Amino acid sequence: MRLRTWAFCLNEANQNLMRNPVLAIASVTTTAVSLLVLGVFLLLSVNVNAIANSVESQVAVRAFFAQSVPQSQELQELQTVRGWQEVRIATLVTKAQALAQLKKEFGDQARVLDSLGSANPLEDSLSVTARQPQEVKGLAARLSHLGGIVHTTYQSAVVSRLFALIDGVRVVGLVIGILLLIGSLLVITNAIRLGMAARRREIAIMRLVGATESLVHWPFILEGLILGGIGAIVASGLAFWSYVAAYRSAVHSLPFLPLVTPSPLARDIALLLLVLGILLGAIGFRISVRRLARI
Amino acid sequence: MISLRKVTKVFPNGVTALQDVELEIGKGEFVFLVGPSGAGKTTLLRLLFREEVSTSGSVIVNGHDVGRMRPRQIPYLRRQIGVVFQDFRLLPQRNVAENIAFALRVIEVHPREIKRRVAQVLDLVGLSDRGLALPAQLSGGEQQRVALARAMVSRPVMLLADEPTGNLDPQNAQDMMRIMLEINRLGTTVVMATHAAHLVDRARQRVVAMGDGVIQRDELAAAYHVEVNR
Repeated sequence: MRLRTWAFCLNEANQNLMRNPVLAIASVTTTAVSLLVLGVFLLLSVNVNAIANSVESQVAVRAFFAQSVPQSQELQELQTVRGWQEVRIATLVTKAQALAQLKKEFGDQARVLDSLGSANPLEDSLSVTARQPQEVKGLAARLSHLGGIVHTTYQSAVVSRLFALIDGVRVVGLVIGILLLIGSLLVITNAIRLGMAARRREIAIMRLVGATESLVHWPFILEGLILGGIGAIVASGLAFWSYVAAYRSAVHSLPFLPLVTPSPLARDIALLLLVLGILLGAIGFRISVRRLARI
Repeated sequence: MISLRKVTKVFPNGVTALQDVELEIGKGEFVFLVGPSGAGKTTLLRLLFREEVSTSGSVIVNGHDVGRMRPRQIPYLRRQIGVVFQDFRLLPQRNVAENIAFALRVIEVHPREIKRRVAQVLDLVGLSDRGLALPAQLSGGEQQRVALARAMVSRPVMLLADEPTGNLDPQNAQDMMRIMLEINRLGTTVVMATHAAHLVDRARQRVVAMGDGVIQRDELAAAYHVEVNR
């Protein structure tokens, strides 16, 4: 199509939108809200994921030595473990240190441990943290094969509960987002269909005088793209700037939280929302196009 | 120009609109299609610009087998055919010049050329001074002339008119008829379905009379009804 034909189609699309401004605003608003909710949930889930990963990576694997193992062998094993690639930190925790730690954790109730007298039933152990969270399981297995090790533990329960929570957040966000997307798709489709009904005379004449079907279609495709696109621009703009702002204030007030930096995350999410919005417009047209054939 | 061979049209509801119709219309002819309502005149016209497709038989228009045409070729067929209806079918919110220009804009004619041709056809139908009027500000006769101008602005080789004078008073009907004969004189093939016996009788052109979906009479320089003492 020639440039002036595009201008013609754009003008027709614009007239459709102006003919029913309330519906146009409703389409843009629902699209913006649904995309924004989707975007917020995506940002949330990426961040909760990052926090969980950092928690998991901080989970130490404890490998306990048998009572009979001499300290010299324990130190030797510590050196071996420190040489492993997946190991970030490895320390030897003697049973005396373990007991002291236990007393500290018991706090006011530490007196119950007094009944032990001078006996210390605890074992010496290695405390090892992995570089990558997904290496924790393998690390535990490897440690269990070390000489003198009786058993190994790590706090997998906490981690798996955290991941279940993340999955929950993700599913809820996706379900709400998808329901809202369907809602905005219906509103956009309705707007396009009303435009078709209002322009049925034009369409009939266009076909009569030999306009190609693509020229008949394009004003409505553009209408869908404009509605979805404006909604998406609003949503991605809001998502982007609010994330940048939230990140800036969180960095200062909650510095221990391992939040994901806005670049490239916020930009990627904003782009994703933009694409989704334009897709909504295009799908809205696809759904309506059968009605166009019947005019 | 137009060739119908054993054309039958049966609608999905079982009504047979045309039955084994054979018709040849040459380039530059003027043909009246006459007959009572339901005779098949409108269906025949609609087959010619591919608004309907025949159930069997072949419809050849300007060298194209219309029934076998691919959907994407239809617009190019229609650019060679001007069509006028009883109800003018103008766009109410656009003025006369815009209504006519619309037909050229949607087939991507250059704006300068559109301006030139709109002025030409407005002159042809005698409405040069009404270009800026809205359809609602025109009489029925003027509105039909605008519709005729729109049909002619793409310079079709053929003009199809379905009861073009059906909504017009006798004077406007005569004016319309005069312009259509002029268009024919300039070289365009014209096929006009009509009930207006007095117009047919005065024009003395070829008459194809239809009834119950078949052609009952096909005479040159004829009248609306059969003339016994010819």
